[in-house]
Amino acid sequence: MTTPIAICALLLATILVPPASAEDLSTVQWQTNYDDPPIGDLAALKGGTLHTYMRAYPLTLRLVGPNANDGFASWKRAFTMDFGLVTRHPTTDNYVPWMATHWSVQDDKRTLYFKLDPDARWNDGKPVTATDYVHTLHMMQSENIVDPFYNQYAAEHYEEVVAIEPYLLKIVGKFESWRPLDMFSLWPTPAHAVNFDEGFPERYNTAILPVPGPYVLSEQEAGQYVVFNRLQDWWGKDKHYWRGMYNPDRIRIRVIDDSDRAFDFFKKGELSLYTVNTARKWAEEMEFEATENGWAHRRRLFIDYPSGVYGFAMNLERSIFQNKDFRKAIQYLFNFDEINEKLMFNAYYRAVSAFTGTEYQNPELKPYGFDPKKAREHLRKAGYSKRGEDGILVNGEGNRAAFTFSYGSKGLERHMTVVKQVFKRFGIDMDLRLLEPGTAFRNGLEREYEMTLMGRTAGRFPGPHQYYASVFKETKNNNNIWFYGAAHTDSLIDVYRFGMDKSRRIQAMHELDTILQDEAFYVPFWQAPFMRFLYWDYVCFPSFFFPKRIQQMTDWQVFWIDQDKKRALSDAMDAGRSLGRDPVIDIDPYEVKDRLEAAMKAAGGG
Amino acid sequence: MRIDPITRKRLRRFRRLKRGYYSFVILTTLTTLSLFSDYIANRRAIVVSYQDALYFPTFKFHDMATFGQQDEYGFDDVEADYAALQQAFREDGSDNWVLMPLVPFDPYEPDFDYDHPPPNPPDTRHWFGTDSQGRDVFARLLYGFRISIFFAVSLVVVGEVIGTMVGSMQGFLGGRFDMFSQRFIEVWSTLPFLYVVILLATFFKPSFILLLIIMGLFEWIRMTYYMRTEIYREKTKEYCLAARSFGASRQRLIFRHLLPNCMTPLVTITPFAIVGAISSLTALDYLGYGLPAPTPSWGEMIDQAMASSNRDKIWLSVAPFTAISVTLLLVTLIGEAVREAFDPKQYAHYT
Repeated sequence: MTTPIAICALLLATILVPPASAEDLSTVQWQTNYDDPPIGDLAALKGGTLHTYMRAYPLTLRLVGPNANDGFASWKRAFTMDFGLVTRHPTTDNYVPWMATHWSVQDDKRTLYFKLDPDARWNDGKPVTATDYVHTLHMMQSENIVDPFYNQYAAEHYEEVVAIEPYLLKIVGKFESWRPLDMFSLWPTPAHAVNFDEGFPERYNTAILPVPGPYVLSEQEAGQYVVFNRLQDWWGKDKHYWRGMYNPDRIRIRVIDDSDRAFDFFKKGELSLYTVNTARKWAEEMEFEATENGWAHRRRLFIDYPSGVYGFAMNLERSIFQNKDFRKAIQYLFNFDEINEKLMFNAYYRAVSAFTGTEYQNPELKPYGFDPKKAREHLRKAGYSKRGEDGILVNGEGNRAAFTFSYGSKGLERHMTVVKQVFKRFGIDMDLRLLEPGTAFRNGLEREYEMTLMGRTAGRFPGPHQYYASVFKETKNNNNIWFYGAAHTDSLIDVYRFGMDKSRRIQAMHELDTILQDEAFYVPFWQAPFMRFLYWDYVCFPSFFFPKRIQQMTDWQVFWIDQDKKRALSDAMDAGRSLGRDPVIDIDPYEVKDRLEAAMKAAGGG
Repeated sequence: MRIDPITRKRLRRFRRLKRGYYSFVILTTLTTLSLFSDYIANRRAIVVSYQDALYFPTFKFHDMATFGQQDEYGFDDVEADYAALQQAFREDGSDNWVLMPLVPFDPYEPDFDYDHPPPNPPDTRHWFGTDSQGRDVFARLLYGFRISIFFAVSLVVVGEVIGTMVGSMQGFLGGRFDMFSQRFIEVWSTLPFLYVVILLATFFKPSFILLLIIMGLFEWIRMTYYMRTEIYREKTKEYCLAARSFGASRQRLIFRHLLPNCMTPLVTITPFAIVGAISSLTALDYLGYGLPAPTPSWGEMIDQAMASSNRDKIWLSVAPFTAISVTLLLVTLIGEAVREAFDPKQYAHYT
């Protein structure tokens, strides 16, 4: 029985795998880059345990499928998905070798070749080969993973992925792009350990699969904690860009369901790091024994990462917002500074652009700013010049200047009730309507709203097409929730999408940014281009703390534990001896704060 | 009005039950007072005498131009600032005057005239402090009370009217109608009330009336149980048979004979139903699916007090918790007294 099957398999294999000669790679120009500085600090010490927390115990250890995108995902991904073929250096932005040592982008801007690192090993000792990347695509395509997001992602992004040789991979994207390496990169999935037959989600729910990264999940106690252990002989430990990264021997992540409780745990010394996520806490609760004695440090690290879209969206399909003057009046009546000062401890910065935090943001743009006089001029032009019995403006046709603001987050109510009162004072009636979060989001996509909160996290590069291209006006369920689009802006967006000349792309986006601001259908709210965190004295960081492009601590693990400092700290704490209060709070290695404050000053003057 | 002797006796007994009676007096007074909330806590003046004309701005918008005011942007069509007006009139020595409410703050407008971001603790300006949006806690408590109590009473009335109707019909008609309607009620009562509210809130804009309707859809059920059994029992009693044998119409039978004799559960349940209704509205507001922001509401106040960032802002929790506890206590005491006053056992002589 075995022989015929083997023969069949052999036959199949010859049919399915194209002979290497089909690809003529002699003309391919290979690229690599070992010239950028390492991401971490070469002085970093290995060893020790990092204690941190997560809000909930992971529902699954899978990377795809139901419940895979939970709070634990960033940890899982840090040691698996983040090991893609190439990556952008988080400080220099250049492509650097990651799982592949060399790469090549063809003229069609969508065909890519990769030479894989032959040293790469799964932690079970098996080599990471090209088939493991093909396997990832097959996984994403499989209906058995029960993950429509990845099914769709695969369908939209990949034409084909071919294992030409064990260490030679070809990827063809679905569309051309000026950054195909970002668009079409893949991470490996262990082909020898994962199959996508029926029952995939259940089978791999709690399975600990081989990983290419430096940490393996080694201990877990359901509902309590998980521990990642560092592989002492990890294949990548001496690779140029990984030196100085991934330092602690153990990362212990315990479940603490509430960030305030976690703060108490930190103060007791049971967590090494703590990210502070509210302005109030940052302003009012940072003085405690450990910080006063210099046993722990507080830092606000300014980072350079796009802030995405966060602000109020007006629906241009609704008649009240079809009038540009009315929209501008709304812009001028939004008193960001007051809200920031009175409700948010002046902790945040005003976002101005549709592309805040990227080089595509037009630096010339100034926020509208709170200006009731200009607002009134625009309201007059929009036909609202008379106040009705209730003090709300009415236009010539007797329509009140009234609309509904729908939102899905109760936390926003604090800000919106204040905005509402200001609007009311100047004759505009804004009704507030809290919806269940999912409904609010869906109503946005279906343009079933008048004004709503639009919040989208950003990738490294803006996506103007999905937000402002007129093709999306014809359909619903897309990110063009404002119903905007014009021929001229479409052409600008195309310059960005397909142009290979960076300066022209930037020029086009700056122009688009100006037009979008003038169209005034999006009121940008705040940006928080920083990470606020606390850490005990024994946790060490490079002089620059973290690379420039970082969103959360798990992204780039450059910190380390200093055992000597840990002993010294515990001696000092036992003796009640102060190490001297650390006066430094703000860290701005990338001059983000300087830039923002200069821009604010310019806006204030203008 | 003719009050039959039994009822009179019950009322007398109720008055004698001091605890319940005084609770009733207090609650009625508070409720009546709350009707005049707009004259107690408001940014708008009660009366303005300006250039020999009287203005009553409580329920009417007057712009600054009316009183010759201007704001910092040179606008005169925004709402008049009555507190500033009062100040100005005092200083200029004219015959103009302004009568401001006891508490010159409404439950909506934030007061940002503090160095520290809100919430700010109680002081002479804001007796109960300000909430996390800088609004006066006392004003919100007061208006919140009015909304809670009137919502609860309306809801209970709606529920009892429908519940009594359905319950009496079940009891009186019996048979197939009873069987089918009872099955319907069983199914209906298993609907998850909260989810229905959240679901409907996505289609309709929540308002006082809408919430009343939605909650009314569920409120009547409990009443039917009592009325059904009461009527079932009463209709077989001799007086009923006698009335029937006299040829009393069905209508007369129900309204003249049966219902008056079935009132006891209705009356005794009412206070507790009100407690339930206040709690439900508070719970809904707490979750954010009650009356839309910025309607003053106790649930919303509790939500603020419970927020982790306000853990140490004790005044935020003291005010609404005390208000709710006191109100619920008063209603419960009334309920207890009513039940005691209506207790038929008083008449029963067991030998």
